[in-house]
Amino acid sequence: MSDRVFSVILLPTAECNVACTYCFEHKEPHRLSMLLVPLLTRQLLDHLDHEGIDECEIYWQGGEAMIMGPTWFVEAGKLMDDAAAARGRRFVHYLQTNLISYSPAWNDVLFTMFGGSLGTSMDYPNLHRKLFKGGADSYTKIWTQRLQEAQAAGLAIGVIAVLHQGSIDAGAEAFYHYYTQELGLTSFQVNTPFPGGPAKVHQDEFDLDSSALSEFLGSLFDIWMERGYAHGISVGPFDSLIDHFTGLPARLPCIWKENCSSQFISIDAKGTVAQCDCWVTSYPESFFGNVFHDADLTKMLRTSPARREFVERPKHLVEHEDCLECRFLSICHGGCPVRTYSALGTMLAKDPYCEVYKTIFARAEIHSRMLLKGIRRPDRQVGPASLTTVATPSSST
Amino acid sequence: VAAAGSIVAKPDCYSINQLVPDESLATLALLTSTAAASHAGAPFFVIVKSREEFSHWLNHPHPDLVGIQVEDLINDPEVWALAAQGQRDTPLDVILKDPAGEFSALYRLADVRLVRPVRVTIPALPGLRKALRLAASLQLPVRVLPGQPDADSLLELTAAADFYLRDPMVDAPIEPFHSVFAGLRGMTEGDLWEFLDQDPALFSKPDEAGQPPQAPDFVKNHFADLLRMGIQCSTCLWQDLCAGYFKWPDPAYDCDGVKSLFNLLESAAREITHDLATLSSPPSSRS
Repeated sequence: MSDRVFSVILLPTAECNVACTYCFEHKEPHRLSMLLVPLLTRQLLDHLDHEGIDECEIYWQGGEAMIMGPTWFVEAGKLMDDAAAARGRRFVHYLQTNLISYSPAWNDVLFTMFGGSLGTSMDYPNLHRKLFKGGADSYTKIWTQRLQEAQAAGLAIGVIAVLHQGSIDAGAEAFYHYYTQELGLTSFQVNTPFPGGPAKVHQDEFDLDSSALSEFLGSLFDIWMERGYAHGISVGPFDSLIDHFTGLPARLPCIWKENCSSQFISIDAKGTVAQCDCWVTSYPESFFGNVFHDADLTKMLRTSPARREFVERPKHLVEHEDCLECRFLSICHGGCPVRTYSALGTMLAKDPYCEVYKTIFARAEIHSRMLLKGIRRPDRQVGPASLTTVATPSSST
Repeated sequence: VAAAGSIVAKPDCYSINQLVPDESLATLALLTSTAAASHAGAPFFVIVKSREEFSHWLNHPHPDLVGIQVEDLINDPEVWALAAQGQRDTPLDVILKDPAGEFSALYRLADVRLVRPVRVTIPALPGLRKALRLAASLQLPVRVLPGQPDADSLLELTAAADFYLRDPMVDAPIEPFHSVFAGLRGMTEGDLWEFLDQDPALFSKPDEAGQPPQAPDFVKNHFADLLRMGIQCSTCLWQDLCAGYFKWPDPAYDCDGVKSLFNLLESAAREITHDLATLSSPPSSRS
């Protein structure tokens, strides 16, 4: 068997219990039927068999995954894990949730199926995550309460922060303080925004100036290195970049993979297969097929014309963009297809955040050089948090 | 220590020699798919030039099959989807013939390298630098075949050597620079024929017409002939590393350009040796 990793971003429902203004998903009242879980599982295991892959990572998200309820997850998890074990394979489950409907009733399944960890999201300041009734302030209040309850239950929690103009206006100092001091987090990840799907109408709010964004991220990187790195605080994607530049095993996030098309798919509640959650919920023109209608997932992935464009994208970029001349080619490969598509209407161009990434890479290089010159490296482990733009807690938390 | 960029480069297996059973002195043969079908009794590499041949040797490996040399297939995505399946780990040597036109297709090997050893072989032709940059960014070991380079090819080779020496992106070995550089630093033995898997004593390859390979003592005799003829080799500073490689097939080839390439590698070897000595000496003794 091989070192290849195969991951599925699985959306058991497109329903959601909140109303964030920048959400890229088309919300629909669909839920994954338990009756279809065995078929989904068989398709995934057949694909693993065919590709010679031992392990499949399942990133459960939505919509809002907790809408399915803990009992549903217990049953689905058991069905999947038993079927995998019978064929000498393994599923590893991760959960991404907005936490709004978290309660102690979830703890058993969170500790058994999800290894005692979960990923959630909160921005600073929170202007765009809103309840259907009550707005952003109410959302923040409830989310913070749920976070504290989950922390008190002993769950390891990683948080995604999507940057927006308000974050940049607030500054890196206040931003870092909020997550590490006010929330007491030891693991969070910053994501750049992209106006996909229904969020396209709010594009102006997330069209961040590259220079300002670069300056913000550079400052945040410096603050983390000064106060957090040596003290067990994990900030993605900075942490995986430091690992990379200091020669440690590094699992860079999906936006910087050689080719995300060979490592990920996303499947929604109706069985639709696309590249990742962003595509499956926002861009029907890029669907690969349907896992409940097509007989063979492997064949679908091999023959899908829509997928061919993803597969060939990096090849196209080194032929037509300046990526081949970039000294960071080996850790970027042209960046994220969906960020490119949502901004430019084509994925056959380099990521519009190119200059921002270069700033972060250069900053990581400088900090890594200093570490290698003598600052003591703390014990850190590479966790799944940096694999995708989905956050799960790193194993160091 | 053999060439680290050899096709079978793995932590515990660095040379083709190490794949040959200890008790056997047999040469590792490089066979066409047709010839390999009736081959028995000694380890061999098979050359495949079609999807069907590739699929056959990948899925029905012969007990003596050591690896697959893949020619003319870099532009067939189906081949690489097949190669990325992880049921068996047969090593691949992927041959580019037109680096300028084929370099971007190296992306198709990104997943393949996760399931099996993969080396890319690139001729010193226009496009070499592009292919090297991309191969390096994908951590693919590379074998550059210099042949008897003309002025344009020498420019490509010099740029490639400089890239190997200076670019922090380079992680996997690039032959022959990697082993020549190690040789110049006294860290390995051997010559270009060996570093490039072109010594018939180790690697027996039929010619284009399928004629029998050169004799196992070809390199020894070829080099002895060159010295006897009294041409450039007898006074060359790098004769042990080269062993007449650049005087084949045309013994009249002018090596001046090639010597500049050796000089570049030797200067870098001296530089790093000096730097390392300085770093390891007590601060008070550093100049």
